[in-house]
Amino acid sequence: MSDVSKILSLFRSELITINVGPRSFAEVLEKQGYEAVQVDWKPAAGGDKHMQELLEYLGGWE
Amino acid sequence: MTVGEKVAAANQKVLDIMTKARLVWTDVKPAIDAVEGMEKNLILIPGPPIEPEDLPIPLKTAVCGAAIHDGLAKTMDEAWEMVLKREIRIGSSQNYNCGNAASSVMSPSMPVFVVEDRTSGGTGYCVPHPGSNPRVLRWGIYGEDVEENLSFIRGDYAAVLGEAVRRSGGIDLIRILSRTAGMGDENHNRQPAASMALALELVPYMLDVDHPARDRVIKEVCANDRFFLHVMMAGVEAIMQSCKKVPYSTVMVGMGGNGIEFGIQTAGTGNRWYTTEAPKITGTFLKPTTTEADLLGYLGDSCVTEVWGLGGMSAIAGPSYLRMTGGTFRDAQERTEKARQVSLGEHTFAPVPWDDYRGFPVGVDVRKVVGLNVLPISHGGSALKTGGQAGAGAAELPMACFREAVEGLVEEIRKLEGE
Repeated sequence: MSDVSKILSLFRSELITINVGPRSFAEVLEKQGYEAVQVDWKPAAGGDKHMQELLEYLGGWE
Repeated sequence: MTVGEKVAAANQKVLDIMTKARLVWTDVKPAIDAVEGMEKNLILIPGPPIEPEDLPIPLKTAVCGAAIHDGLAKTMDEAWEMVLKREIRIGSSQNYNCGNAASSVMSPSMPVFVVEDRTSGGTGYCVPHPGSNPRVLRWGIYGEDVEENLSFIRGDYAAVLGEAVRRSGGIDLIRILSRTAGMGDENHNRQPAASMALALELVPYMLDVDHPARDRVIKEVCANDRFFLHVMMAGVEAIMQSCKKVPYSTVMVGMGGNGIEFGIQTAGTGNRWYTTEAPKITGTFLKPTTTEADLLGYLGDSCVTEVWGLGGMSAIAGPSYLRMTGGTFRDAQERTEKARQVSLGEHTFAPVPWDDYRGFPVGVDVRKVVGLNVLPISHGGSALKTGGQAGAGAAELPMACFREAVEGLVEEIRKLEGE
């Protein structure tokens, strides 16, 4: 059996979560009294591969 | 050079045109004498091109009213028949370097403000703002009283105003915007400071005009706190005329709605429109009985001010407009922050004291809008489906236009590249 003590000790310490994804994940943690940092990130062009290729052709957007 | 490098260079050129513009209001002339491409049977309307059969009621009323005003028809029914037979043509204002706010239209005999960009050489046009009376062609209403006011504007008003502007040698709009920095205008839906600053420059010259209607015209101009908007729209069109001559650029240079469709234009594809269903402007209503179901989609070209970094783009400059339309100071900050994310630069003429003296974001890059999935916001007045103003507020610009613009730009650039 693997040693889970290290991961358990992490959860016993003060936890600050960095959430990359739907904001609701962070909100659930906040409601339970934990601190969560929401990363302001969205997939490029809403995840549309065709649009990403067109943007690449135009030199990107940065 | 790679395509990306060519796009970057073109965008810098467009940004330079936008930020180094020196706009001067030089004249008031009949549209037929001033606007290139204007014809005796042509009426210019806001937004992207539309077939006459699809015109919403306010625009149909405005077009037919303008046709009577110009002597093209005697009755509304006759005018409409002529429009349907294409004996009277309708055209998209921004394709003629003109802007028409809300349900305004421009007929050949109407006077237009002529504004030149002394830096890039472009010239733009807009009809005068008709004042605070709710019964105006600008909101899709026509009748004897509206005709009387239109005739006054075409006659005495244009004569006095035109002579005063010519006597002044031209009025510098950038100077007016600079003077009103920190005075709360966002310059699309709120411009009392700029209108007053403009009146300060104009009235001394108006007093020198020898005309029996001089005092009435002075009163009309000074009592209209939105007077500056239509002068500014002509100025923006002057700048965009020059921007539309820059191939490869992905910067937005036009946008507007005809109530049914909303569209944008980019520098690299000039007068080509990218359209989708017009969003509704939400905020506050003038009457408590009005509901969202009564609203027409986005109507008007006044959002060309946003194209040049004003209005929703510079929302933080006029936070009281947000308050009036149901928003907060924080909402104003967020609107400008969003605009900054998708813009290529900032204006320097009117830094906002409560925004760390930063300038208005300008030069929306359609690549950034699509890539970052961030939509700028336009302010605007909302129209009732049956005609008349519903209220005022804001609308998020539709993503579909920007995605279509990216497709169109790639198509155009591939042609230029011989691919």
